[in-house]
Amino acid sequence: MSKPTANWEKVGDKFYRKVQLYTAVFDQDLELQNYNVVGAPYSGAVAIYRDEDKVYEYRGAQATRSSIDIYSCAGKLIRRINWDKGTIKALGWSEDEKLIVVTADGTVRCYYHLQGDFVPFTLGHGADEHGVQSCKFYGSGFVALLGNNQLITVSNYTEPRPKLLASPPSDPVVSWAIIPPTYSLSRSVEVILAIGTTLYVVDATDAEDRDFTAGPFRHISVSPKGEFLAFYTEDGKVWVVSGDWSEKLSEYDSRAKTVPKDMQWCGSNAVALAWEDEVHLIGPRSVATKFYYDAWVHLLPDVDGLRLLTNDVCEYLQKVPDETVEVFRLGSDSPAANLLEASSLLDQKSPKADDLIQLIRPSLSEAVDTCIKAAGHEYNIHWQKALLKAASYGKSVLDLYSSDDFVDICDTLRVLNAVRFYEIGLPLSYDQFKRLTPEKLIERLTNRHEYLLALRIASYLHLSSDKIHGHWAQQKVRVSTDSEEVICTLIVKKLHGKPGVSFEEIARAAYEEGRVRLATELLNYEPRAGKQVPLLLGMKEDTIALDKAIESGDTDLIYHVLLHLRKKLPLASFFRVINTRPVATALVETSALDQDRDLLKDLYYQDDRRLDGSNLLFTEALSQTTLAPSLDKLKLASKYLQDSRDASAVFQRGALDDATKLLRMQETFEKDLAPSQSTPSPIPGAATSTYIGLSLNATIFALLRAGHQKRALKLQHEFKVTDKAYTWLRLRALVSARHWIELEEISKTKKSAIGWEPFFNECLSAGKTNYAALFIPKCTGLSVAERVEMWTKCGLLVKAGEEALKAKDKALLEEIRAKATGSAVLELERLIGMLPGGRR
Amino acid sequence: MAPITPFNASDVAEKARRDLLLLLEGIRGKKNLVLEKALAGSLNLLVKFSTLQEYGVDKPFFLENDNVDSSQRNVVFLVRGEKATTVQAVADQIKRIRRDSSIEHEFSIFWVPRRTMVSDQLLESAGVLGEASVSEWPLFFIPLADDVLSLELDDTVKDMYLRKDPTSIYLSAKALMLQQQKYGLFPRIIGKGDNAKRLADLLIRMRTEVTAGESTNSLSPSFLGLVPSSTVDSLIIIDREVDFPTALLTQLTYEGLIDEVFSIKANQTEVDSSVVGGATPQPGQTGSASTSMKRKVLIDSKDSLYTTLGDSNFAIVGNLLNKAARRLQSSTERNQLAAKTTAELREFVAKLPGYQAEQASLKQHTSLAEEIIKHTRTDIFTRSLEVQQNIMSGADPITQHDTITELISRDIPLPTILRLLCLESTTNAGIRPKDLETFKRAIIQAYGPQHLLTLSSLEKMNLLQVRGGSALGATPAARPGSVSNYTPLRKSLKLWDDEVNEADPNDISYVFSGYAPLSVRIIQSIIQKQTLANLIKPLSNPQASAQANPLAQGLRIFDDASKYVRGATFDETQTGEEKAVKARSMLNGSHNDAGKTVVVFFLGGVTRAEISALRFVGRKLRDVGGEGRGSKIVICSTGIVRGEGLVGAAIETQRFGA
Repeated sequence: MSKPTANWEKVGDKFYRKVQLYTAVFDQDLELQNYNVVGAPYSGAVAIYRDEDKVYEYRGAQATRSSIDIYSCAGKLIRRINWDKGTIKALGWSEDEKLIVVTADGTVRCYYHLQGDFVPFTLGHGADEHGVQSCKFYGSGFVALLGNNQLITVSNYTEPRPKLLASPPSDPVVSWAIIPPTYSLSRSVEVILAIGTTLYVVDATDAEDRDFTAGPFRHISVSPKGEFLAFYTEDGKVWVVSGDWSEKLSEYDSRAKTVPKDMQWCGSNAVALAWEDEVHLIGPRSVATKFYYDAWVHLLPDVDGLRLLTNDVCEYLQKVPDETVEVFRLGSDSPAANLLEASSLLDQKSPKADDLIQLIRPSLSEAVDTCIKAAGHEYNIHWQKALLKAASYGKSVLDLYSSDDFVDICDTLRVLNAVRFYEIGLPLSYDQFKRLTPEKLIERLTNRHEYLLALRIASYLHLSSDKIHGHWAQQKVRVSTDSEEVICTLIVKKLHGKPGVSFEEIARAAYEEGRVRLATELLNYEPRAGKQVPLLLGMKEDTIALDKAIESGDTDLIYHVLLHLRKKLPLASFFRVINTRPVATALVETSALDQDRDLLKDLYYQDDRRLDGSNLLFTEALSQTTLAPSLDKLKLASKYLQDSRDASAVFQRGALDDATKLLRMQETFEKDLAPSQSTPSPIPGAATSTYIGLSLNATIFALLRAGHQKRALKLQHEFKVTDKAYTWLRLRALVSARHWIELEEISKTKKSAIGWEPFFNECLSAGKTNYAALFIPKCTGLSVAERVEMWTKCGLLVKAGEEALKAKDKALLEEIRAKATGSAVLELERLIGMLPGGRR
Repeated sequence: MAPITPFNASDVAEKARRDLLLLLEGIRGKKNLVLEKALAGSLNLLVKFSTLQEYGVDKPFFLENDNVDSSQRNVVFLVRGEKATTVQAVADQIKRIRRDSSIEHEFSIFWVPRRTMVSDQLLESAGVLGEASVSEWPLFFIPLADDVLSLELDDTVKDMYLRKDPTSIYLSAKALMLQQQKYGLFPRIIGKGDNAKRLADLLIRMRTEVTAGESTNSLSPSFLGLVPSSTVDSLIIIDREVDFPTALLTQLTYEGLIDEVFSIKANQTEVDSSVVGGATPQPGQTGSASTSMKRKVLIDSKDSLYTTLGDSNFAIVGNLLNKAARRLQSSTERNQLAAKTTAELREFVAKLPGYQAEQASLKQHTSLAEEIIKHTRTDIFTRSLEVQQNIMSGADPITQHDTITELISRDIPLPTILRLLCLESTTNAGIRPKDLETFKRAIIQAYGPQHLLTLSSLEKMNLLQVRGGSALGATPAARPGSVSNYTPLRKSLKLWDDEVNEADPNDISYVFSGYAPLSVRIIQSIIQKQTLANLIKPLSNPQASAQANPLAQGLRIFDDASKYVRGATFDETQTGEEKAVKARSMLNGSHNDAGKTVVVFFLGGVTRAEISALRFVGRKLRDVGGEGRGSKIVICSTGIVRGEGLVGAAIETQRFGA
């Protein structure tokens, strides 16, 4: 076995290693130098397309057909997209392996799931006019540079909203880079543009000149976490500046005459410069090392390193993780190195093994930890095993040690080794795997149709396998040549008891494949109405969609279907559909009430809901601003009911006719009494009130208050207002108009429909005790005590006394005397004296 | 590890707050905030305006006023997206700003609580969908107190009972579902009412829907599909329709009366500043400075004085206030005298702010109480209360007609009259056709012809009915279960309590000074069977074990009563996967039965009096060792209602010539 340090390179005081991942990656005929190569993050797929700017050998008509080819890192062709849709200006990957293709006219095509179809959108903001120059991509979005130096950003692909950033100067852009929103200080995307000799930082609100003079900068590169920026100057120097622009960290002179074709960060510690077949790796403090290749090399940056791709090999360049350095560094005497040594000695059955262990005994548990971590970072299976064995040996010596990490690494390594296998071609590093998460890894595998491996990994890591099954079923539906019944039963059988599988997606796939019947069948197994309905609508199964929507209880969904139906169906059939479904009818009514009264009218008419129809007309009558149309509408409302015989309709008609009559009378009052309104009324407020729109009672009240008793009486007769109600109205009107004289007149009449108590109360609360007192003697229905109370309230204690005297109630009398003051006391004393046995 | 408490008010509030601030943070720079009036109260409860300002909110606007200006580049709309009209208003305003403004704007819309397809469709057809970035603020429950969570859906009554629009039911189900996802399935869902049944069905249905959608984010462990919750005992759903009368009655607790007299909105009430002096600023009082003479007063459940006052019958509030005043005075005075050593003095000084706050609150509540007394002394109040009490105690409603007619003639506020009429109708299975017609005519004459629509709406809501059949004549005889029959209920649930004790209550009847709310009685018949059984049918020999009342077995009272109450009855148990349940019972044993939470959900709103009554029940349950096993009650609802709101949903506001 070769030594683990064989592929290490020392850059300054740090080690870098170049792991050979795969060999014989591409066909030797493929002229990689003529292609643009972009790699998906986390060791994902690689997309290549021919660079149209470069001359190439003519190979006959067939070869000139351009295409975008997607390969795995091991060079396995995953997909070929034939391209005839214009000049590709940029190609990029999103975090979840969506391929983004941007053409010169500003059209963006987003290819899903490696194998899937694309979703297009356009950048707008003048992109079609000025043309897209280039694009820079980050995890969830990208920024496009237009011909007029405008920058357009798209922050997500599910709902792309291209936004214009602030405008930089229009001088030609030498090079540019972006800081992704996750790592920028402002939490939104920032663009660094090299224009002239200086740099501009552009975000949504402004373009700021950073006042550099050392330019023009040929290359700009931002480290994966945005903490450092690297610039390549015209005179062959590489500058590294901290991400907040506060400090220039190092400067390296490459002494190269030609500008490198690419500059990328390798992790966050080193910058790689690439010429055609030469790569310089520049570490901190400007030390560098050089690698030479015999073919054209491409740099594919990743979060913790750099993939190097040539026709022959795919290599991974990364800083050697600290744990690995600790274990393997030549002459390392760290506990971990000793532990590894001890373990190999143990294999050789040497007694020295125990000596070594005893030597590192105090720091054994750290040594075990280090070995475990180093194993995780190791690509070579031999050394993985050796390290794990060492850890296991050390573990057995320790009394107390939690094996969780050990088990975890074992699991992870098993998965990593499986996916690194060349047929799969996902050479994830340990850190990438941790960042990517196992769920996403499984998603990547299913996208590559590696269902078996995905299932195995899912069950090995105890993850849900529902997605995999769903994906499998979709694929099955697409490509299977079996009859629809067979497919359906097969899928249903396979997916039985897996509640997380989305049947909707499978059904959609079936529908898109033209298997409508299969789609409907499959859709029945989908429990989520929100998923069923849109597809059903798309499949023109309108009534089923409506029923499913109603079942779900989600009004939004029901409205959605209803809106769709309303647009599609003629009115009569629309009504027919909703009539049998009360919830749908209720919702149509509710929304129509606000928006579409005519629809509602038709609905009521068609449904023979006379009362509701009449009410609707009545509402319209109310909303008229002038009287004449109001009256017309009222007439219509009444007419609407003329054929109905049932009690409520008859009542309604009566009420409507009364309303008309009242309005007409109010109109005449308004006209007749208008002049009187101009004279200042003694009572404030009376002048402002008009009659129209008042209720009947309020009209009578207003008339009485203004002294138009005859008219009020007429109204009473016309509308059969009860005497009681009328008397109340008159009382209140008189009190409020303070017509005391008239009240006094009333007190002389014999009878009142409501008794006399209200008269007393109203006068009293108006503060007129003397008028209130007028009514006390008339309240014959009340008890003596109550009448005494009334007198007392009026302050007429003597009268109260007399009342008590009449009832010969001595106790009451004395109670009254207690309240009295002044001359009333004497008078009351006298009254008490008049009672038998009063004077003792 | 602290025990998980489901339906924890502060958790709910914190989550909602965080969600909103995160959304606001996502928009760079200063922004103008346009919000729906109905959301203002809720927002105020969750986030202080100063916090919003820290997050870049420059000026708030109301959507209804349509006055957002172009002073900021960013315009944020915070609105409910369920109603087409609101969506349209948003679209119109975006268009207006875009047309009028000279600078380019960034629009963001936060739909509450979810983004709807209809809103997308409307925005699209208005041509603004592409202009605005759309996200949702999943705001469901808003805690009004530690044990009260409300959805604050103002239109529920109108939607559900008048328009038969089930949106509120769906939103309620969503809200409850979120809680289930967090704390596990409700082991049992029991309840009464047609809409409540629909809600329960939806919950069960959503369970399968959610498990289906779950695997996508299996990162968050969820108990769904696995096990019923170990911390929640059951969910009791009561449909407001089951018990309209309770909502129609005048509430007689202190909090209830504040609501009746001044109206409480999102824990705030507006009182004329002449009542509670305008000078002292209230802690936590936010919102617009009072331009008018109205002042906002916070009804704070954390105020120690108010906690004792709020749930008490108003009759004893005066005494309580006196007591508090005396205690406060004596404690401050004595301390001053006794403060001899510096240590004591320091302690006293440290307490001073507390005393001052208490003093302020005491002053405020005294003046509020005085104002309420003024109101309760009026002739109209006593007369209508008299009618209510007579109807509820089972007197022949015909005897009350004269009073009602008189009140109509005296032109008292229409809601009060409608409450009385609806009360009569709902407790007596309708009003005799002749009487109803008379009343209708009287109302139209007294309050105007437009109330023909009001009355028709009330009939649609089943608040006003003709006895022996619907007014439409469609159903000739009342279907069984379509009306509540109070005559047997009065006895079997002891709805009327003649020996009510307001000062030291021994039964929930204290909240209405005699009437025990039917809704709470139904809940009692599920969770407090023993007490209720003993109340209904006191045992002959009190020596016998308290647990032995035969009535208390099973669900006898509940079953008996629900026969006479309108609406569907349901009782579902939710079990999880067998394996998981077994595994848990092995782990826990069966001792972990105490201290569970009972969730009571009022669909269509809860009144403050009912909250008080339930708190009373809850206090009894919390005594560990009793039948409640120390469980606690959490009250959830679509909103807080009061009688005026209930009939107000039907009242037509337009009038002729206006």
